[in-house]
Amino acid sequence: MDRFTIVQFYALLRREVLEHRNLFIGAPAVVALLILVATSWVAMQIDETQLAEGLSYISVLFDGLSPFDMAPFFMLLAIPFMLTLYICSAIYLINTLFQDRKEMSILFWQSMPVSNLQTVLSKVFTVVIVAPIFYVLIIFAMYLIGMILLTILVVSNEVDLVGIGWMFLAAIASLVLIYCSALVTSLWLLPTIGWLLLFSAFAKKTPLLWAGGVFILVGFFEDFIFGTQYLANWVQSRAANPNQYLIFEFQSLLERIFNYETLFGIVVGSVLITGAVCMRRFTD
Amino acid sequence: MSNIVEARSLRKNYGNFTALDGVDLTIPSGAISGLIGPNGAGKTTTLKALIGLCDVDGELIVAGRDPRRARHKLMEDVCFIADVGILPKWLKVSQLIDYVEAVHPRFDRKKAEKFLSTTDIPANKRIKELSKGMVTQLHLALVMSIEVQLLVLDEPTLGLDIIYRKEFYDRLLNDYYDGNRTIIISTHQVEEIETLLSHLLFINKGKIVLDTLMSELCEVYTEVLVDADKMAEADACGPIHVRELLGKKSYTFESVPKERLEVLGELQTPSVADLFVAKLKEDRHG
Repeated sequence: MDRFTIVQFYALLRREVLEHRNLFIGAPAVVALLILVATSWVAMQIDETQLAEGLSYISVLFDGLSPFDMAPFFMLLAIPFMLTLYICSAIYLINTLFQDRKEMSILFWQSMPVSNLQTVLSKVFTVVIVAPIFYVLIIFAMYLIGMILLTILVVSNEVDLVGIGWMFLAAIASLVLIYCSALVTSLWLLPTIGWLLLFSAFAKKTPLLWAGGVFILVGFFEDFIFGTQYLANWVQSRAANPNQYLIFEFQSLLERIFNYETLFGIVVGSVLITGAVCMRRFTD
Repeated sequence: MSNIVEARSLRKNYGNFTALDGVDLTIPSGAISGLIGPNGAGKTTTLKALIGLCDVDGELIVAGRDPRRARHKLMEDVCFIADVGILPKWLKVSQLIDYVEAVHPRFDRKKAEKFLSTTDIPANKRIKELSKGMVTQLHLALVMSIEVQLLVLDEPTLGLDIIYRKEFYDRLLNDYYDGNRTIIISTHQVEEIETLLSHLLFINKGKIVLDTLMSELCEVYTEVLVDADKMAEADACGPIHVRELLGKKSYTFESVPKERLEVLGELQTPSVADLFVAKLKEDRHG
């Protein structure tokens, strides 16, 4: 891969972020703001004694733990962001190859020397690699503001919160876990990513209806013709367990990626993404 | 002179509608070629096929490549402006320039900025905030800053007022065309581009009905304003089109020797617009 190809690909990613900044920056910023406002409001509602007791309790709770031990606690704070990321990613994926056809700007994008493979891959990279970076940065900003507020609270209540610095380090460590979780989840859900992109590239109208409708129809015909429910069970097995979406320790990272189920999903997802590239070939 | 476009038997159907019905065309390198046709004739489909945006059957080579197999490589040598405002509305002008600079190896940013400095287009505005004329100016500034062999324009001035239209073609001819590049223009406003063209293509119902160099037009086609007493004689020469004009009749002939026509009245070369009407009516009547 030469330098120009990398510059081209970077420009494609930048384009995606600029076009969908509301989904990748605006949405998590709103979630962060809501969390900060909500926790500040709660902190203001409780009296000084309760607050001091609570802060002391946290101090005792984390005493003697390393930042990595404390990191999973902060993962809980990330759950609203993870949910927002997946919802925004789904909205992005189902519209991204449809919207430019609808508003005809595809004629401009296609008039540039950029292949359909590069275009579709840039969209996959945006969801898998780039979007989680923005989410993690916004969570980091939220932690930073939260820690500053907490420090003010601690100082004003004259509570000796041992290890507030350690807490901040734990929050930072949790950001790495959050990013890894998003990455592994994206690989785990690659068939969904491929499916949404395929119908985003295919549908002339209402791509979401097409993606959902065809899926239901395929499941229905499988059941009707063969009397089996492999498709429904397979999808259920990939979607049902929330633990599949979070990583609490680094040791499990490789194990989570390099297993039969994930790799099979990556193959299925790649086939569907290839289908989206083929669909993208012609605008008519 | 070599050909930059060679197409044989191009066919394209949209359901029951035949958009291209065996289109054969060749466009010489360095030509300014006009693709003229009524609505639904197949102009846009032909142009989209040339740049690989539309799947067609038949043989097609543009700038030495098959657009259906290597669109993105072809687009290093070809630029395209469509009949609708196709620039992404959410981008700022400066972001658009950044994007083109990053993805196009033959884009000259300084040239683009120089072109834009002569317009009223602000770099920090989003494209949706620009007028249609400004969007077209912006698109033209971008493509004029890219070193390519072929520029494809599909109704580029549609919906623009006369000032923008005139400026568009003036810039194209004075600042862009250098005799080596090829330009293909599809338009309804035939009169505006007539003087620019060196090659002419008429398309109707998915078929090319005329493919000629402008320099050969006067040799093949003749228009004669015939007096009433010589109309029978003119009819005998086999005109392709006859129209009433100030009490006389104007006859258009194809490949009839000038010596034979001189006796009928004053000879002249038909305008592209008149020839277009003549060829279409001839095509309609078989």
